[in-house]
Amino acid sequence: MKSRLRYVSEFLMLVAAGVMAGSVRGSEPAVIRSNVQYAVPQITLVRQDGKSVFLPKELDDGRPVVMNFVFTTCGTICPLLSQTFERLQSKLGADRDRVHIVSITIDPEEDTPQRLTEYAKRYNAGPGWQHYTGTLKAIVATERAFNVYRGDKMSHTPVTLLRLAPGRPWVRFDGFVTADELAREIRSEVAAAK
Amino acid sequence: MSPVIPAHAGRLRYSLQALIVSVWVILILIAPAGARNAADESAGERLYREGMLPSSRPLRGYRAGAGSIEGSDAACVHCHRPSGFGSTEGRSVIPPVTAKYLFHARTRQKDKEDTQHGSAAVPDRSAYTDATLARAIREGVGPDGRPLDYLMPRYKLDDATMASLIAYLKSLSGRRQPGVTDDTMHFATIIAPDSDPVKKQAMLDVLDHYFAAKNTLYRPRVPLLRGSERVRPRILRKWQLHVWQLEGNPETWKAQLHKRLLTEPVFAVISGIAGRNWEPVHEFCQEESIPCLLPNVELPVVKESDFYNVYFSRGVLLEADLIAQKVREQVGKSERARIIQVYRADDIGAEASRELCIKVEPVGFRVLNHALGSGDSIQSQADFLKGAGQDDVVVFWLRPKDLKGLPPDVPTRATLYFSGVMGGLENVPLSGGWRVAAQITYPLELPERRAVLLNYPLGWFRWQRINLVAERTQVDTYVACSILSENLDSMHDDLVRDYLLERTEDMLSSRLINGFYTRLGLAAGQRFASKGGYIVRLSESGRAKVTAEGDWIVPSLQ
Repeated sequence: MKSRLRYVSEFLMLVAAGVMAGSVRGSEPAVIRSNVQYAVPQITLVRQDGKSVFLPKELDDGRPVVMNFVFTTCGTICPLLSQTFERLQSKLGADRDRVHIVSITIDPEEDTPQRLTEYAKRYNAGPGWQHYTGTLKAIVATERAFNVYRGDKMSHTPVTLLRLAPGRPWVRFDGFVTADELAREIRSEVAAAK
Repeated sequence: MSPVIPAHAGRLRYSLQALIVSVWVILILIAPAGARNAADESAGERLYREGMLPSSRPLRGYRAGAGSIEGSDAACVHCHRPSGFGSTEGRSVIPPVTAKYLFHARTRQKDKEDTQHGSAAVPDRSAYTDATLARAIREGVGPDGRPLDYLMPRYKLDDATMASLIAYLKSLSGRRQPGVTDDTMHFATIIAPDSDPVKKQAMLDVLDHYFAAKNTLYRPRVPLLRGSERVRPRILRKWQLHVWQLEGNPETWKAQLHKRLLTEPVFAVISGIAGRNWEPVHEFCQEESIPCLLPNVELPVVKESDFYNVYFSRGVLLEADLIAQKVREQVGKSERARIIQVYRADDIGAEASRELCIKVEPVGFRVLNHALGSGDSIQSQADFLKGAGQDDVVVFWLRPKDLKGLPPDVPTRATLYFSGVMGGLENVPLSGGWRVAAQITYPLELPERRAVLLNYPLGWFRWQRINLVAERTQVDTYVACSILSENLDSMHDDLVRDYLLERTEDMLSSRLINGFYTRLGLAAGQRFASKGGYIVRLSESGRAKVTAEGDWIVPSLQ
């Protein structure tokens, strides 16, 4: 029931985002920010270095987590999403590796660890930014758990998730959130952890 | 005495001189302008496709809050695609940028709208002019003063560069393409001389029936259905198949194909079949910018940067990678294990064995290759099998004819892999101990699961009275035709070759019924639609039944 309510509320927000996007389709991206509870799925993914990792453990390493869903042969929205993470890393400066940046592919059969490594290099990903693939089943389950599964990769929509610490709610951004906005959200948490 | 020149003759001379001078002046004015336009358009093309400015410096685009992108990352082609017809991804819509779209007003009234602007066209917009288009590219403002979508970067182009880009957009996808006439779409299928004659005929049967069935829906001039303007009959052109049978040495194939194309211009190559070599056909399609969709080949050309060639899978090369993955994961004792491969030197197993070498030698496996020459039989070579120890792996890249020559008893305790694609999948002719020991590569959906997926094509064959003589070739050909038909229908009147490939990239993964394939999917830069497979074991009973040894594998080794 709770999850259904969550989907309904997210749907309403998306409708609102659509209306906003329709009215201001413009120079500033229309982004909807919401707080959501997600149970991290008990799933094993494969990191770009080829190592199998248990997703809850990977996300609960104590650091703030910023996460998105991309695929390496996507020409439309993924380059912008990845560029935002590239800029976020450079904005974080000395604190760069105190934030765990997670990009999960939605095209796992194409995006092997090797391809993800090459992709990460293209966006100058530092050690704090990891890319993940897995079996199709594991990836779909992960997408569903974070309510980003839209069926086909061509129905991909831009979503960025942020969790300041394990146990805290996720902040969800539907639309193209900027690196500045993400850095602002994270910075206080990183400063507090020092 | 000086000759008397009549006054009117002088006038004539001056008029002639004036005429010659003015012709020269006009020529001088026109010729460089023409040359300049051509140069401009090619500069525009470089900018559009490569993100390169006329100065050879990289193009730069800017988005508020997201910084800049440059070079190929900033190139228009990324989002607007090679055809210029744009694309959609989720809720993000990248509108077309062809002249027909940009320089005509778009209305929300459906009955006034023609559908000739790509599937990503945005309604309700005034026509652009050169000036408003330049403003859109520089400042991100549409012709009616509304801001463009956030995804569209801003580009600070100087006037000359802007003119070259607009000149290029005016020519992009604007001309009628070869193989398209008012009432007919022409397609070719290409047959290599070493194709299996049964499979070749099986493929042609399916193509002929598919084209004939398609043409029964052809209506030359059907008025719009009254009151339902969105339901437009789109089968406005017949399909015509040209069978291009190649002859002789592969080195002459390309010349044969170029010659055929001159007399029979085709829009695309559909299906096709080859024994060992498809490379000349692949190269021809790439050189001529002809889509070549889903040929029946087990050894495709692996060059995913080649836009025009699309394959079902990497065939035997995928099988080599499946074995490499399994061996590297399971054997693990690489310092002792040897991989022994048997193949015919003149068959596709030679390339498959090379691929396996590339994947296992760098991690320390020793590979021994036994290439059978044209006179050699497997019996005469069976000794190497006795030498294969328990830790070793033997890989058979052989056809049924050779496999039937294996000794009755298995002379080794080595791990045995067989190419399913070459050996006949679940019908691989193995008996006794061989059946028990064999692990077969199976880069297709498993027989019991695909039974449902085959229902529709097999039912269609029955309805069409097509004899089932080469099930996989026939089903793959049918699936290829269905994909062509769906994508072409979705293109409406934008019958542009590049757009056919873009539609295939975008739409393939939404198909559910793909015959022998579990899943098909592509994207820009992906040219092999099915990406994994199983390793299976045969039933001991001798019936054509298999059991998967583990899950679906997508090889991921470097």
